[in-house]
Amino acid sequence: MILQWLILLSPLLAAPVAFAAGRWKRGLSGIIASLSIAISLAISGITYFGVVSGITYYERFTWFYNLGYGIYIDHLAVAMVLMVTFVSLMIHLFAMYYMGKDPNRHVYFAETALFTAGMIGLVISSNLLEFFMFWELVGLCSYLLIGFWFFKPNATAAAKKAFIVTRIGDLLFLIGLVVLYQGLTASTVVATSQGPLNIEFLITHAGSVLNALGRTRLFFVSLMLLGGAIGKSSQFPLHVWIPDAMEGPTTVSALIHAATMVTAGIYLVARVYPLFVASGPDMLYILAILGSFTALFAGTLGIVMNDIKRILAYSTISQLGYMLAALGFYGVYGSGVIGLSVYQLVVHAFFKALLFMSAGAILIALMDLRDVRKMGGLWRRMPLTVTLLFIGSITLTAVPFTAGFFSKDAIISASWSFYQSGGTYVYGLPWVFLEIGSLMTVLYTFRMFFLVALGKPRSHLAEHAKDPSLVALLPLAALAVLSLIFGIFQGSFYDFVNGSALVLKSVPISIEIIPLVFLVAGVFLTYFIFGTGLWQKVNFSAVPGYRTLKNKYYLDRLFTNLIAERGILPAAGAFGRFEDSYNSGNERAGRGVLSFGSYLRKLQSGIIENYFLVIVISISLIFIIIDLMGGF
Amino acid sequence: MNLVADLLSLEYFFPLIAVGLAGFILLVIGFFHNSGRLYAVITFAVLLAALISIIFLAPSVVLGGILIYNPFNAYFAAILIISSMFVAFPALKNITARWDVFYSLLLFVTLGMIVASFTMNLVVMFVAFEAVSLGTYVMAGFHKTKRALEASAKYFFTGAVSTAFIILGLSYYFQATRTFDLNAVTTGAHTPLLIALAFLVIGFGFKLAIFPMHQWAIDTYDGSENSVSALLSTGGKIVAFMIMLKLFVLGFPSMGDQVFIFFTLLAIFTMTYGNLSALSETKLKRLLAYSSVAQAGYLILVFSAVGYGQYNHDPAAYIQTIVAAGMLYSLVYIFMKGGAFLSMNAIKKEEPLIEDVAGMSKQSPILALSLSILLLALAGIPLTGGFTGKAFLFLSLIQVKLWWVAVIAILNSAVSVFYYLRVISYMYRREPSDREPFFTGRSVIAPVAVAAIITVAIGVYWTVFYLVLPYAAYLLGG
Repeated sequence: MILQWLILLSPLLAAPVAFAAGRWKRGLSGIIASLSIAISLAISGITYFGVVSGITYYERFTWFYNLGYGIYIDHLAVAMVLMVTFVSLMIHLFAMYYMGKDPNRHVYFAETALFTAGMIGLVISSNLLEFFMFWELVGLCSYLLIGFWFFKPNATAAAKKAFIVTRIGDLLFLIGLVVLYQGLTASTVVATSQGPLNIEFLITHAGSVLNALGRTRLFFVSLMLLGGAIGKSSQFPLHVWIPDAMEGPTTVSALIHAATMVTAGIYLVARVYPLFVASGPDMLYILAILGSFTALFAGTLGIVMNDIKRILAYSTISQLGYMLAALGFYGVYGSGVIGLSVYQLVVHAFFKALLFMSAGAILIALMDLRDVRKMGGLWRRMPLTVTLLFIGSITLTAVPFTAGFFSKDAIISASWSFYQSGGTYVYGLPWVFLEIGSLMTVLYTFRMFFLVALGKPRSHLAEHAKDPSLVALLPLAALAVLSLIFGIFQGSFYDFVNGSALVLKSVPISIEIIPLVFLVAGVFLTYFIFGTGLWQKVNFSAVPGYRTLKNKYYLDRLFTNLIAERGILPAAGAFGRFEDSYNSGNERAGRGVLSFGSYLRKLQSGIIENYFLVIVISISLIFIIIDLMGGF
Repeated sequence: MNLVADLLSLEYFFPLIAVGLAGFILLVIGFFHNSGRLYAVITFAVLLAALISIIFLAPSVVLGGILIYNPFNAYFAAILIISSMFVAFPALKNITARWDVFYSLLLFVTLGMIVASFTMNLVVMFVAFEAVSLGTYVMAGFHKTKRALEASAKYFFTGAVSTAFIILGLSYYFQATRTFDLNAVTTGAHTPLLIALAFLVIGFGFKLAIFPMHQWAIDTYDGSENSVSALLSTGGKIVAFMIMLKLFVLGFPSMGDQVFIFFTLLAIFTMTYGNLSALSETKLKRLLAYSSVAQAGYLILVFSAVGYGQYNHDPAAYIQTIVAAGMLYSLVYIFMKGGAFLSMNAIKKEEPLIEDVAGMSKQSPILALSLSILLLALAGIPLTGGFTGKAFLFLSLIQVKLWWVAVIAILNSAVSVFYYLRVISYMYRREPSDREPFFTGRSVIAPVAVAAIITVAIGVYWTVFYLVLPYAAYLLGG
């Protein structure tokens, strides 16, 4: 069991060491951070075989009263932790190239190592409170890393925005935890030794939790936990922070805002899934509709973005929507949907990290020019990098026999089965959203790809772009291979996470074929417009709805201009004025006390006769008081 | 013959004889040898030996009940010896001549403290207390500078008056109870006891520097040498506190309400006076002196709780908790206050102002950190022993349902944070006026650092209270 603790401790200890060593020799920090994560990965591998042989690594210590801390590694956690350590290692290796010239890279590596530790801790923690603390730690690291280039005003603003928006979700999560804790401690179903927030207890005794809290309260708790998940996984309507978060280094985007941290929300729902199931079908429907709507919604936004990283960011939001939606299809596969969701999560981590890092390689070559309209013709100039980008793109768009095809089609098929089992049209909505969402995926992905890869270079920088060294691209190649072949593990992955064999339901071939039709249509359409240079002649602002999309459905404006500037800022101002007057009152009281103190000090005249006088008077007064109180 | 047999059981006299004899020997060595270091080493070693022997002495009654060896008494004897040991080496920094006299005085004072700790007889207690007083009168004015002489004179005059009060109080006390043995007190006539109570509070309160008998302390702590101030404000105070603990917990069993009223009023005045005056003080040593007055206010809360508990006939376990809280607080107190006064050795300037600690963090981070810890402990910030001591003190007040007193005390602690933090902010946030305003030798830093480490240790291992708790039973159990 000590070995399993090391998965967490290795990067956690590496963070300060990498920082300290990096202060001395900058190059060391990346090596130390990567090494620590490699250790974690190796131990995760050992743990995986342990879990396969039937062990659940579970160790719990009491922190105080009935709250514990510890590790809990079951099938789900080990799948997650393997993904996190592997992807993190790949990204760290690439970051040694990508951040290679940054003067503060020791800070960078210390923070990413700390982040990885936080993410691992979150995945393997045995208690929801512990989970929450790591959740906050990764949030903090995200804030620090988005604002890593703190001299860019955009970056600091984005870091703040990310922190504040996710904070809303964190607050909801905390409220949910408090209600859950209070309900469970007040009831008698939980022995103190078990611990009410113990994940193992919550998922094995969801029924008694339901009894203790009642349906309504449990529904509320799940809703609050979902609120936390929405904030972290940037689902509608708290998705607004991720696109801005792209101001950070691209490796940070790959690590935090694509592969790992944003999946923490999905993981939270998957982790305490029995609670969501026990909250009733309404809760599950909320998951399905919210996820599928986000998948479509974010996809439409991806089409009009020009910043290559923002396109990928909206794509991330959209793909996370698929994962959340998959968790809503409990009616189809039971708890097996966790497998569907987590498989999509893992595959997404591979190809999205790949996409981000190849974008990062392009951005290095282009001196951080992120506008896809200014690229073009890069396939000829950076063949390796753009080929990797191509592999990522076809996986993202679920071209048959890539991993993305297996993971996403299973979810879309499940949504059809969900419609069939539900019966009414309301249950069909997720399916519709996901299908159209898959079309959107094809459109934005290939729009981006064609603009980047084909045509003539549209800027001076693009003309002189060059591939980075082969060594730097090795981690990307590893991810690319996984993106292509990971599909063969689909069935075994589902079975592993599920704990028993999961039989996929078949759907009519006419339904099955729709995503493929969309794919072919989408590729042709985007090639026609963006592959040929036609787009330069079209006036897009005349296209209906373009302005709405360009303004991101006015949601940012709603949040910033209406809610923040008209609502919260005036309220904050009022509070501020109140606090000012309160403070000045305080200050006046303080000054009063101070001057009173200096009057008291006047007693201290230095003349000893006066001292005796003070004594005589004071003691006499005390005697009088005692007499008045009936002492004598 | 019993007396002879007792005398023969020398193990019980070893600490006393060793300390007293060493005092004389130092005077003799003074004729041939003139190196302060030697005296400091001898003093320290003798005190250490006495400390060890006290720890290992089995509980016993010697000299027909005049000296009583039990864990409670030994605990205080140990604390007082430690407070003397604490200044033994740092004093080298202040005392520049006649070390033999100074160190023999230190030993005699300590002897008085040890005797006072081990007796339950009021007359012996008084004599021992006077031994402490007389020694410290000389020590306060040891350098015969104008400031030191003034300090010593004020101390002496008020001390003389306090002696008169004690003697008068004791005679009234004897008249009422017909005994000087605190373990034998049952009850007595009301009025003489009340007068005795008032006189004894005044008499012993002088040394503890409680309002309104505190004014000498400000001038004396300010005027005398740093290590003498440290001794006066630690050992000198704790010995008075211990005597009062014996006297007012055991001596006035029928007068709980009067004890309560008297001490509650005094404690509130003392705390408030000390803290408020310190707020606007600009001289560093006077600030520490005011803070020491405020600390005395917290200490005597013990008596108001004890009185209230006795008045309400609370269970003995409650009284035991209160006494133990006072014991723990005195232990923490000698380190935080002694360390704070000794840290003044680092400042080169005479009569340092608060501004004069500016830049300490740059020149000696360890010293600045240690002093910060001590000041935070005095303010009662968690993770320091000061918090542990205060927490148990206030909790024991709440236990006997003195909520309102606890609230006043906590408010006072909150006020005190202001002036302690002011010093800390000067250390860390201001630039020094000179290039190297501080002595940073090991002899300056070591005692402060040791005090800080112990303070933090008590703060972290707060369960040390439960080690002290059983000792308190020996006071109550007789």
